[in-house]
Amino acid sequence: MTSLPQTTNAKLGLVIDLDTCVGCQACATSCKEWNTAGYSAPLSDEDPYGSDPHGTWLNRIHSYEVDDGRAGQTVHFPRSCLHCEEPDCVTVCPTGASYKRAEDGIVLVNPETCIGCKLCSWACPYGAREYDYSDGVMKKCTLCVDRIYNESFEPEDRLPACVRACPTGARHFGDLGDPESDVSKLVADRGGFDLLPEFGYKPVNKYLPPRPRRDNEPPAPGLSQSPIDTVDSSVLDTPRDPLERFFAWADQMLSR
Amino acid sequence: MNTPGTLRHLTATDPETGAYRIPKIIYSDAYFSEMVPYADLILPDTTYLERWDCISLLDRPISDPDGAADAIRQPVVEPDRDVRPFQSALLDLGARLSLPGFVTEDGTAKFPGGYPDYIVNHERAPNVGPLAGYRGHDGGAFGKGAPNPDQLNAYIANGCFYRHELAPNQRYYKHVNAGYLNWAKDTGFNGSADPIVFQLYLEPLQKFRLAAAGHGDVLPPESHRQRLLQFFDPVPFWYPPFGDDGTIGDTFPLHAITQRPMAMYHSWGSQNAWLRQIHGDNRLYLNRRTAAAYDIRDDDWVWLSSDIGRVKCQVRLMDGVNPHTVWTWNAIGKRRGAWGLADDAPEAKRGFLLNHLISELLPARDGGYRFSNSDPVTGQAAWYDLRVAIEKADAAEAEETRPRFDPLHRPTSKDLPEAAE
Repeated sequence: MTSLPQTTNAKLGLVIDLDTCVGCQACATSCKEWNTAGYSAPLSDEDPYGSDPHGTWLNRIHSYEVDDGRAGQTVHFPRSCLHCEEPDCVTVCPTGASYKRAEDGIVLVNPETCIGCKLCSWACPYGAREYDYSDGVMKKCTLCVDRIYNESFEPEDRLPACVRACPTGARHFGDLGDPESDVSKLVADRGGFDLLPEFGYKPVNKYLPPRPRRDNEPPAPGLSQSPIDTVDSSVLDTPRDPLERFFAWADQMLSR
Repeated sequence: MNTPGTLRHLTATDPETGAYRIPKIIYSDAYFSEMVPYADLILPDTTYLERWDCISLLDRPISDPDGAADAIRQPVVEPDRDVRPFQSALLDLGARLSLPGFVTEDGTAKFPGGYPDYIVNHERAPNVGPLAGYRGHDGGAFGKGAPNPDQLNAYIANGCFYRHELAPNQRYYKHVNAGYLNWAKDTGFNGSADPIVFQLYLEPLQKFRLAAAGHGDVLPPESHRQRLLQFFDPVPFWYPPFGDDGTIGDTFPLHAITQRPMAMYHSWGSQNAWLRQIHGDNRLYLNRRTAAAYDIRDDDWVWLSSDIGRVKCQVRLMDGVNPHTVWTWNAIGKRRGAWGLADDAPEAKRGFLLNHLISELLPARDGGYRFSNSDPVTGQAAWYDLRVAIEKADAAEAEETRPRFDPLHRPTSKDLPEAAE
């Protein structure tokens, strides 16, 4: 219903390093801080001091423990819009409110013409779109389009707020359509990958995988003979958080 | 630490007179925290957007290895209620009480302009003050220089911070780098430019130990000598934390530790509407192996106990924690009614603190004296020495954390008869 540009002059996006992300949430809070005062209406919070506080965020970080057969590996996974090259969230939009810019590839929502039908959030397999219950429109990562071209800012501040805030330098911004750009070289060097490439949406954002662990030995057995150290591994329980179990199931299905 | 014991102390009365044993508690806070209802007088504080602050080189500055930097906060909104910055209130109190350092020779307030006045004009040594940048009459001095009345404006013009970058030859091996050490003396960082030698064999500690062995003119009291002989070893060594006499592992087999969530460092008001969406409750993280040994499954509720109390919480199993250690996030659990949160807020229902399990005193030692449960050198509370036992909670028990104190009564204008007039 809404057309995509034939080509874009650039493919602006993020490269997120899962090796150095420590899950501190600085990118999430600085994103919310910048964008709640940004060009669309504020990012609302429902029941902020009550029993079920929830709100609109354009960037969320989920922390997982990956079972590596040894001591477990914690992975912090920041998730935001991937500014796909062929995003269904745009083509399903009945009003043209969702659009992809020809000049730089950024996917945006025009809050004036968005009718809050949520079709785009159903179309996005990455969960990147957030419906704002107070505002009645869809919100999403803008790559801080109101920062990156802002000539009233110092050059070092013309970056998405999340990139500027990251204390470990785990977030990088640049043109992924230019093979000579720093971000493209970083992706090539580190084996950057797409999320769910099999869906064919061609995400522009890339993720860098955690580096292999240096301690390849299994953890040393405890020195004591306490019952903890002599438990038979076959009786170990696995995490069963409902959401985690759902993702595990979905992952299994999608991997078939 | 020892929250139930602290509450008992705060509310203890003399059975003969009925009067509180602590006659008057004066407290300052910007929020309706757990402590407020126990105070006789509350000095309402500002939030950090409403006051001047000084992130000085003396306490957690923004420096990096190649440069010394400090920063300020400036008020960006006017308070919309009757509050005063606590630092200014303290300066005012000090002046009214004529405390040394708070009044001039003629007895008038030394810092009548409150905290911003203090930031600029206080000197802890001649020409050395809270802020290192823009000192001296022309604002050109760093470290040492006369107070500069325009210092705060200079900071604001520079983005509310100042950073002095070290010359390349000053950046390395600083403890024996003459270029660095001379600069550090000139700026008032160090008292002298002598090399700072790391002593693996620490002679000052050995002096204490020799005194405990009876050498020298000044000798420690007999009751402390054995302790000094044992612990003032000039060569670093490890020993089990105080209180662990080798048998504690039978009763309390697990170590329990906490850390503040990183996100909470973005705002110290942990009831912040955004942060509580990120961390609204907390679990006890437990190795899967440990859980199996105690027949505990993921999501089960458990009781943790130490020698002073019990806490109930819900577990989350993981692999990446030592099987003999359990951990949780700190600073999330809240008392019902506090911090302006709903009584059924997740922080009160499913959040918990290990504070209830940590004693402020160590078990009695020789002579019956109970030492503080803190680092003997720095005084830092010994959070990480906690030992606990774990057991599954009865499935019939309510799925909520314990202890669960009565909700705090939230005062309204009706509780303030005079102000309500």
